[in-house]
Amino acid sequence: MIKINNLTKNYDKEVFALRDVNLYVKPGEFISVVGQSGSGKSTLVKLVIAEEKADSGEIVIGGWNITKIKNQEVPTLRRQLGVIFQDFKLLPKKTVLENVAFAMEACGFSSDEIKKTVGQILSLVGLKGKESRYPHQLSGGEQQRVAIARSMVHKPKLLVADEPTGNLDSINTREIVDLLRKINRLGTTVVLVTHNRDVVNNLRERVVTLDNGYIISDQTQGRYLL
Amino acid sequence: MRNLFRIFKFAIQGFFRNFWLSVVTVTMMLMAVLSVTLLISFDYIKQTTIEGVEQKIDVLISIKPEVSSDQVENLANDLDDLAEVKKVRIITPDENREIFIQSNLDDKTREALDIFEENENPFNYSLTVQAYNLDQYSVILNFVKDNKYNDLVEETMHRDYSIFVSKINDLSILVNRYSWYIVLIFILISIIVIFNTIRISIYSRRNEISIMKLVGASNWFVRTPFLLEGVFYALASVLIAMAIFYPVLNFIQPSLNSYFQGEQVINLVSYFGEHWLWIFGLQFIVLSFLNIISTAVAIRRYLKV
Repeated sequence: MIKINNLTKNYDKEVFALRDVNLYVKPGEFISVVGQSGSGKSTLVKLVIAEEKADSGEIVIGGWNITKIKNQEVPTLRRQLGVIFQDFKLLPKKTVLENVAFAMEACGFSSDEIKKTVGQILSLVGLKGKESRYPHQLSGGEQQRVAIARSMVHKPKLLVADEPTGNLDSINTREIVDLLRKINRLGTTVVLVTHNRDVVNNLRERVVTLDNGYIISDQTQGRYLL
Repeated sequence: MRNLFRIFKFAIQGFFRNFWLSVVTVTMMLMAVLSVTLLISFDYIKQTTIEGVEQKIDVLISIKPEVSSDQVENLANDLDDLAEVKKVRIITPDENREIFIQSNLDDKTREALDIFEENENPFNYSLTVQAYNLDQYSVILNFVKDNKYNDLVEETMHRDYSIFVSKINDLSILVNRYSWYIVLIFILISIIVIFNTIRISIYSRRNEISIMKLVGASNWFVRTPFLLEGVFYALASVLIAMAIFYPVLNFIQPSLNSYFQGEQVINLVSYFGEHWLWIFGLQFIVLSFLNIISTAVAIRRYLKV
């Protein structure tokens, strides 16, 4: 699903965010990328969703080499991915339904299809009955569920979750991680970027550890090392 | 077609759901529209005033007492045939008497009429002649002084406001010349204010723009509702300006009605009634264009996500 070869990114001549990173993620895998602040986790996510461009190396997603992706191709790439963020990134002036539908509208789906799919996905994430609420009327956990629904509504093969539990309490964290596992069991590849030790240790899935821009560990059923 | 409908829907949602932001933006634009409309009103008042004063100028020809009405009519026709003459009016002795009575003379002067019998009228025929422009009055005066009319014309009086009119014209030329600078400065200020208002509006919604980009929306799909919102701002400000302006016009019109006696009146209501499409339509188009350009420039940096 993801092939990263000799990837390097630096923001400054002195400061390397990622150095010579090699990573292969198989379709259907659940992988956690862990590391302390500044280890390069978020840079890795930004490179995968083409928010940043690499200085050297290559990234291939689902057979598409996006290393030198053109600006006008970026929306096409993002429509094939699902991304969720620590700060949810919901549209504040749109309702739950509209937030989820927006991802499909941007892809050009028909209104009938959107109506049908959005209803199903909101039921899946447990937000049935809250369609007409605005983000500020929801709890943090509910907002993250909306974000997950939005990221999954167009049925992507790959879901990238960048610190999705960073703003949540332990109960909501568990619920969100359970939801991610459920999504993974349905066949979607999940890349979870986190620094939450408990989440990683409970998952018992593949763990890639980043430190100072390098991959220092890659364990099949790993634990949080740092 | 489907996307166009969605873009229209997003623009309407953006306009109403960011209500206070829209109110502030529309208010700034409303100021600009009201100021331009006031400039147009002042220009109309200036123009009408000059025309009103010009209409007050004429030549008054007093006819000798023994001249018959047919002879007066022939003289009027001869004058009317002149290319320089715009209008000739015959004032009968009865009309002259009535004008005398109605004029603002004191009672003693009016009592002078009492020495005449009721069926006696000391007034004669007279003619008022108007030219197309100020230079043509000398031609008319020379025409009447011709020997041919010596037996008819008692005296000619040229009510000459030409110095006054020329001063107004000079002032008007001066105002027109400097009003261009004023209008240019004003347009510049309006452009800066509108551009910055739009920039602040877009800045406050930059996160929204980046989120849309992150979920896979194309630049066109994100940008177009904002451009359309700019058109809505223009439409709202022009409609509100009309809603404010027309009642105000109706309120002040009665005090303008008596500004000039005669045919020429400052009729702002009718002027804005006849030219509303041109005045407000053009302002809407210019404002929309300005908003679209400002939005396109302001949004560009936030689309680079």
